[in-house]
Amino acid sequence: MYNQEKFEKDLLSQYINPEKIEKAPEGFTEKVMNSIHIETKTYKATAGFKNKSLIPVISVVVTISLVVAAILIPGDQNDPLVLPLLELMKNIRFSLPVINFISFYNFNVPALMIYVLIGISVLSLFDRALYELFHREK
Amino acid sequence: MDYKGDIAYIRQVLAGNSNAFSYIVDRHKDKAYNLAFRICGNHEDAEEIAQDSFLKAYRSLKGFKMESSFATWLYRIVFNTAISLVRTRKKGVLSLDDFPVDATDFIGSNVNEEEAEREYRSSLVSFALQKITDEERGLISLYYYEEMSNDEISDLTGISKSNIKVKLFRARHKMLEIIEKVEKKKLTYHV
Repeated sequence: MYNQEKFEKDLLSQYINPEKIEKAPEGFTEKVMNSIHIETKTYKATAGFKNKSLIPVISVVVTISLVVAAILIPGDQNDPLVLPLLELMKNIRFSLPVINFISFYNFNVPALMIYVLIGISVLSLFDRALYELFHREK
Repeated sequence: MDYKGDIAYIRQVLAGNSNAFSYIVDRHKDKAYNLAFRICGNHEDAEEIAQDSFLKAYRSLKGFKMESSFATWLYRIVFNTAISLVRTRKKGVLSLDDFPVDATDFIGSNVNEEEAEREYRSSLVSFALQKITDEERGLISLYYYEEMSNDEISDLTGISKSNIKVKLFRARHKMLEIIEKVEKKKLTYHV
């Protein structure tokens, strides 16, 4: 077998010309790089979408969990873990200054605007906090 | 090929400079394309295979071990991509009649007889390559065109060295049989 193998190897070598190399067509590198750039952009867009949709998804999950818990867990059941916590919450006394709403009527803006301003401030704070949390890598 | 140069560019790509990959493509495109062409036998598929292989290499660059040769790693991707593409696009079996009988058929307007004979031999090999199995074609390409040793082929394909020897022996034998048949046909045509 060895002699036949050597003979056939040499015989085939006469037909095959390894120097004849088929070269890649012109613009090949550009085509590959274009595909890579498109893929990188698509990946970034997908990642961006995931980041953006993360907050609403978390909100929905939490809301649904709370609703399901409210339906499934009976209101009069004494939970050994939650009950002490609720007791503690009840006993917490906040020492925030009492807003004298009557004094607000002295302003020349409609009373409703006070609530709107407080609401906007709270939402801005939340928005800033969530933005910092989810867009830190940028 | 300067392997250290490959590593430097790979590090740049991994650091976030995707444009550095164009240097890697430029360095290896001809060899990758040539191997793809030898396995699939046509330029359209070869381009698709080579492009696809570079994309796969880019995607899995993080998994590349820096201490090994990038070229071998890339050719393994090209080899596997080519074999799987050829398998999905099975073409009809070529008959001996599909091959022109004479070297004169290869003489173009500016080609002399010697060049025509070379063209004829090259086409005869391409024809014989299309008549063996995809895997055999890949092995023959690596051995004769890429001039790799059995050890290197074994490393690249994952087939054992002894198995490669057997497969190459069979492939060579089949190809020579086909070449012989075509040559015989040529002789009877001229008688």
